[in-house]
Amino acid sequence: MNVHLRRAFYLFAAGFVAMVGMLAYWQVYARESLANNPHNGLQTRRSIEAPRGLITAGDGTVLARSEGHKTKGGTVYERVYPQGAPFSNVVGYWSVRYGASGIEIAENSNLSGVTSDPVTLDDLINQMRGGRQPGNNVELTLDPELQRLAYEELGQTVSGRGSAMAIDPKTGEILALVTSPSYDPNNIDDNFPELIQDTAAPLIDRATQSLYPPGSTFKIITASAALKAGVKPTDTFFDPGYLDTPGYRVYNYQGKDYGELTLAKAFAFSVNVIFAKIAINEVGPQLLYETATDFGYGDPYDDFILPVTGSDLGYPVNQWVEGNTAQIAFGQDRVSSNVFEMGLVGATIANDGVMMEPRLVREVRSPDGIIIDRPAQSIRRRSLDANTAETVNQLMQGVITTGGLTQAEIPGVKVAGKTGTAEAPPGEPHSWFVSFAPADDPQIAVAVMVEHGGEISPKGDASTPAVTIARDIMAAYLKHEGG
Amino acid sequence: MTQRATTPMILALLVTTMGFATLIFVQRATSPPLIYGAYYAGTLFALYLGVRLWLPHSDVLLLPIVTLLTGLGLVLIFRLTYNIPGVKSLALSQALWILVGSGTMLFIVLFFRNYSRLFNYKYLMVIAAFGLILMTFTPLGYEVNGAQLWVDLGPVNFQPSEFARIALTIFFAGYLADKRDVMAATSRTFMGIQLPAIKYFGPVALVWAGSLGLLIFEKDLGSSLLFFAVPLLMLYVATGRIAYVILGSILFMFGSFVTFLLFDHVRVRVEAWLDPWEDPDGTGFQILQSVFNIADGGLTGTGLGAGFSQTIPEVQTDFIFSTVASELGLVGATTVILAFLIFTYRGIKIALLAGDDASKLLAFGLTAMFAMQTLIIIGGVTKAIPLTGITLPFVSYGGSSVVGSFIITGLLLVISERSGRREAEELLPPEDRL
Repeated sequence: MNVHLRRAFYLFAAGFVAMVGMLAYWQVYARESLANNPHNGLQTRRSIEAPRGLITAGDGTVLARSEGHKTKGGTVYERVYPQGAPFSNVVGYWSVRYGASGIEIAENSNLSGVTSDPVTLDDLINQMRGGRQPGNNVELTLDPELQRLAYEELGQTVSGRGSAMAIDPKTGEILALVTSPSYDPNNIDDNFPELIQDTAAPLIDRATQSLYPPGSTFKIITASAALKAGVKPTDTFFDPGYLDTPGYRVYNYQGKDYGELTLAKAFAFSVNVIFAKIAINEVGPQLLYETATDFGYGDPYDDFILPVTGSDLGYPVNQWVEGNTAQIAFGQDRVSSNVFEMGLVGATIANDGVMMEPRLVREVRSPDGIIIDRPAQSIRRRSLDANTAETVNQLMQGVITTGGLTQAEIPGVKVAGKTGTAEAPPGEPHSWFVSFAPADDPQIAVAVMVEHGGEISPKGDASTPAVTIARDIMAAYLKHEGG
Repeated sequence: MTQRATTPMILALLVTTMGFATLIFVQRATSPPLIYGAYYAGTLFALYLGVRLWLPHSDVLLLPIVTLLTGLGLVLIFRLTYNIPGVKSLALSQALWILVGSGTMLFIVLFFRNYSRLFNYKYLMVIAAFGLILMTFTPLGYEVNGAQLWVDLGPVNFQPSEFARIALTIFFAGYLADKRDVMAATSRTFMGIQLPAIKYFGPVALVWAGSLGLLIFEKDLGSSLLFFAVPLLMLYVATGRIAYVILGSILFMFGSFVTFLLFDHVRVRVEAWLDPWEDPDGTGFQILQSVFNIADGGLTGTGLGAGFSQTIPEVQTDFIFSTVASELGLVGATTVILAFLIFTYRGIKIALLAGDDASKLLAFGLTAMFAMQTLIIIGGVTKAIPLTGITLPFVSYGGSSVVGSFIITGLLLVISERSGRREAEELLPPEDRL
């Protein structure tokens, strides 16, 4: 009988071991996927019961914090956004009912603290004691003054719709990423149904998620391609006022004709006919396509912390015919982009042709101040050689000096830029400006786009709200950074 | 030679104290009247001393493990129900049940040292068991969560099946000890499987089928599984014939299939197990919440009091192990499983050392019941097998369950005392023997 008793015991022991195995499966192997399961409400409950970390701007301004309220069942935390709408496209919202967006979801494992494995000794002790662990604090690179300024000025334009992006070209730190209209992330649970129905789409981040024709700002890329093809700024071209391609006739903006002029002047006055000619005769589809790709067209930026819709040239290069190439040269046809991409294009020229990795998170610290993560600056791509970039820089300075773009001037500072008035029928054209300053030692690069902001005056001039907004952003930054 | 296990006993009480201290100081739970904690520690320590005094040769490790598990249960029940809005506080009544259980065990220790007399009344045990189960069908019985398991006896409500199965185990042990030789020595075969003689096997099958049938109509699936598995295992150990296990397994599969077809509540359980995502907010809700909470614990757990296992319906009874896994993590849950394994090991050891067949079979039957019950409910809440409602011995909230588990412990103690004393006498030099 004893033999069978032992066998029965082995059976039980095997059963107990299997139970440990089952637990290990759930608690180690399947843990992550279950934590992220949409039916699993534990994470949201935790966010109510434990304070999430702070989200702050680069100067320490609090953008999101958890506020505790004593209730019968213990303290319940609510997310508060003191800076409101100007920052909500970046910071995001945290809703028990509607999920989360922005940094709130992208940095959730840091902000919620509890889901992550212990990093510091204090974490471990706290976790062993079962204490409520406040989440880690996330500091962003944003400059709150620029963010607010851009948001206000975009809101005051004719359409009130647009976006802006400002970046430190040398480090890749994003200083402002603004969309208008925006929304107040406080009380999102109450407002969400209304926001999702709003035809102005305030929940969409126009800076990163929408795409628009970049218009003449794309000439920065076409000019770069031309220089790579051997064209010099002093080379002259003839502009009869139009260019015929099979099935399409290119006109200059407002039907002007400039006669004979150099590449530099053609860039400064934004002469479409000459750029179309150069693109067809000197550059060719392949080089233009490659140059745009080097600047980030076609890149989905899916490693960026916020969702980005990648900029696009519209067709695969082998389908470009002359008519397409001509229009792509000045950012029309099906070329589509946003200020996130065009801001990076400007920053790349400013930084000698080197595109730095765009970053929004400066560092993550535990509640007691220990640094948990500090992303290092890195190079994303080398788009142009330094000499070519310097030449494009000069061309862009010429837009303000030769082109007489007085609205972009900042006293005592050399500004480089390129305007764009992108046709977007049936409405007025979009107003664009891609710029950086000081041109001889760039501290900030800015791209601004105002939807249907290129209103045509009775005199025939387009207003350029994007230029003044970009100038104000750069001036404000240089003022407080330059001391 | 009296064995002692004072250190494990003190450790078990310390673990319980630490659990309460964590809840009170770290989680800032409102303190329960501390005097009850002192009563609890005093009761179990007195129980330990009493057992050492009256049963000096009995197994030493059983009581420290019982103390650890009941203490853990008390801490968790306190954590899950004390001062939580909308939840009835159950810790005090659990403490009371531990007291009643301890008293019952002490009664067995004092008056059932000659437990073999129980085997003389084995048929009475069957009648008692059937009577207990049938009570739930009388006007005294009532339904909880769709299962007719409860009996209301004025001041106390109890689950008769918790006691019926102990009575039946005594019957099987006594009967099989008498008939094991004739049952093993049968020569008729059917399709290569040696069949037992109907004459001897008949009573076993009758009791077995009868109790099973009643429980299935009661919708008590967990107990049905136990009532099925334990006699089968006892039959195997008594006769050493694997044929019984094979036959039993075939019967089990057939029976499971028939109950699956016949009973809605069985079908719902099995479907919720196979695909809980089909209806995550309905039939699959309980098991999914359990799995979410277990996963939430990870390696080291959320910490006592910091988990969310209150989201699981019935967490303080059937699903208490999910709280263990969630708040103490894989490490803590494995430790608790280890405690159950040690209890099982000691139980089997008692069976191995017991001097006569009936004692061996009784010790084994009780241990098998304990082990199977633990496996069925842990397997159920971890989604290893379909969920069947049953308590985790000593840990879950529930008076009948706690008292029943203490009765099992008491019986194991008196069995071990007899073999321990015999062994001690054999070790003495012949001239010292009485």
